[in-house]
Amino acid sequence: MPDEDEAIEEYRLGARVWLADHVLPRTGRRPRRTVDDYTPEVLAESRVLQRTMFDAGYAGITWPTEYGGQGLSSAYESAFLEEAARYELPDFGPLTATTFQICVPTMLAHASPEFLARFVPKVLVGEALVCQFFSEPSSGSDLAGVRTRARRDGDQWVINGQKVWSTFAHLADWGMCLARTDWDAPKHRGLTWFAVRCDAPGVTIRPIQQIGETAEFCEDFFDDVVVPDADRVGDVNAGWAVTRTMLGLERAARRPEETGLGGGPGALAPDLVRLAARAGRIDDPVVRQRLARAHSAEFVGRALAARVGEHLRRGERTGAFAAYDKLFRGTYNPIRARLAVEIGGAPAMTWIPGDAEGAETSLAYLNGRTSSIAGGTNEMQRNAIAEQILGLPREASVDADRPFREVVRDVDGGRG
Amino acid sequence: MELDLTAEQQLQRDAAARFIAATCPISTIRDLVRSPAGLPAGYLDAAAQLGWFAMFVPEQHGGGTVSGSAVRDAAALAEERGRTLQPGPFGSTNVVAAAVTAAGSPEQRGAWLPPLRDGTSVATWAFPAADGPSPSSLEAAAVPAGFRLSGHAPLVQDAALADQLLVTAVGPGGPAQFVVASTTPGITVTALQSHDITQRFASVSFDEVMVPAAARLEGPGGAEADVEQQLQLACVLSVADTVGAMDALFEMTRRYALDRTAFGRPIGSFQAVKHQLADLGLALESSKAVAAAAVDAMDTRRDDSGETVSIAKAWVADRGVDLAQGCFQVFGGIGYTWDHDLHLYLRRITMNGLLFGSADWHRERICRLQGL
Repeated sequence: MPDEDEAIEEYRLGARVWLADHVLPRTGRRPRRTVDDYTPEVLAESRVLQRTMFDAGYAGITWPTEYGGQGLSSAYESAFLEEAARYELPDFGPLTATTFQICVPTMLAHASPEFLARFVPKVLVGEALVCQFFSEPSSGSDLAGVRTRARRDGDQWVINGQKVWSTFAHLADWGMCLARTDWDAPKHRGLTWFAVRCDAPGVTIRPIQQIGETAEFCEDFFDDVVVPDADRVGDVNAGWAVTRTMLGLERAARRPEETGLGGGPGALAPDLVRLAARAGRIDDPVVRQRLARAHSAEFVGRALAARVGEHLRRGERTGAFAAYDKLFRGTYNPIRARLAVEIGGAPAMTWIPGDAEGAETSLAYLNGRTSSIAGGTNEMQRNAIAEQILGLPREASVDADRPFREVVRDVDGGRG
Repeated sequence: MELDLTAEQQLQRDAAARFIAATCPISTIRDLVRSPAGLPAGYLDAAAQLGWFAMFVPEQHGGGTVSGSAVRDAAALAEERGRTLQPGPFGSTNVVAAAVTAAGSPEQRGAWLPPLRDGTSVATWAFPAADGPSPSSLEAAAVPAGFRLSGHAPLVQDAALADQLLVTAVGPGGPAQFVVASTTPGITVTALQSHDITQRFASVSFDEVMVPAAARLEGPGGAEADVEQQLQLACVLSVADTVGAMDALFEMTRRYALDRTAFGRPIGSFQAVKHQLADLGLALESSKAVAAAAVDAMDTRRDDSGETVSIAKAWVADRGVDLAQGCFQVFGGIGYTWDHDLHLYLRRITMNGLLFGSADWHRERICRLQGL
């Protein structure tokens, strides 16, 4: 459609001009690397920029116009993002993806028009950053096994319970909260989602100190938190369908940019080469093998990600095929972190206080299993691959068809 | 590789699959193990007619590709051959054909290429080191009429079948390559038995072999550059062969996990087996991805193609063995029987990983290419 191509080109050129006039270019500023770089003040700057983008018509490019979006196709969004790659777009840390790529698109698919008309405009101007209240102390991989309860009270719901691993909840305005609304139904059929204000009475959010010494995720307590029914996302007890939408969007958000393999292998792990050089072991054949292994795994990971992306784009594979990409990172990231320790030895695991670069090997090692556990463990990826890609039979379930109340009683009461 | 095939390449691959099914299915492979030639009668002729040796030969000598890219076509065919563990000098002849095309004089090309393309001549690359082609124990001394070759190439694929050998030696001024007839006096080809009973290997010794100057092969960039290109192509074709074998073996194993029952249900319903197969699936998919990257790098003549090819070679060598061993575990006892095909795949995959440089050799090469 040549007219459409022309329109997109025009749009792109307009974006290029606007960005040059209104947004800081990326070069010249160290990118934010750690969670400590994100404070309410830093976020405030990005909120202002988000508002500016909205006013110029570059927020919610593919979102419906009735809620304040631009209602354009993803081709327009891609054109804008390509132009914007050189610029500092609003940066809310992990909340950028959870708000704009995961939670609000989920809301758009399932929430009532009345809710969306109220909520989406706030998001578009940077007033509503959304985190996820999803996992709980007693259920992570078993997503449907949540125990936070929502009890109906007239045209409100009262929520009691606890969430955990909610990334950046301490900086968010809202959280999408999964709660159980029917304890007599089997676990998948008694779930409902709610949009909860983080500053609502009864909500307590506490950052959790992590082994890397930073705090990016939180534990969250809900004590008689009142949520209007108008802030429910999706139908009562139909929360599992909403969850599936969200999981699909999470998976897509994790996919690296579709840049393919234009880059080739690139430089060999500069950080590991530095470690080897510092240890005086650049000529050690054993160390060289490790360097090459780490370098190779990185390149293969990119090749696989590109291949997975291509298969999904062409519609040749189900979404579960992306599990290979996640499993790869969950398998090889810990190996790389370990290789660094083996290359650098004890000198790499001690440093002068305050030397951030010196602490890198230790920090990377502590964080090495993040991809293996967060966002779906290696084991869950293997289940998905085995069942949905390889066609192997599902496990028999001991809980999927029984009232959740009974399941809880058995696991909690039976064995203490 | 299926992502990247053009319609013409798919047709060529399908024609190959039909030819293989009609001429040399897996059941035939095992019979051939004990045959002297190791090939069904007429196999090379028929393969040549399908264009299997034409890809790196210029059109003026009767060659051609279906897609315009010799390396892509050859890799696709290599993968298809790997699925059914096809015998014969596919990689061997193609590497030599590519070398002659790239580095040969017009006379050399005119003389050597047409018979290779027709399948009436079989060629293979003889280099001295058993692990990685560093020309250290094969020497070419200059003599009035040409050169005198002395030394030993301990492991040459298809040498017993080959009538032409591309020999890499150390000459007076550096690496030197020659195309010599295997019947040249002083050349002794000793067939070897090997772990991989689907492919044939021999050791070749050179006892003061006299070759004319006209036998010397050197491209405009020098012999070292020629050897580098040969190594890359040999590795890419070997990797493609392995990926095809891995794919076929994995599918066989997946089906087995669905069919075989124990404790009242398919063994593939047990989580341990499911997770094992998922990890093997990852080994396969990551291997396909890096193999495709290596083909792409060679095809687009990237400066870093040497490194990409070595990354692919080392990766697929390791993951191939992981996969073959893992599939063996899923098959259990039956995998120990001669009559089951598993061991044929295990042998081929493992051996391929060792040829043209082991995984360790390629990793060291990666470091050197990176300037370390």
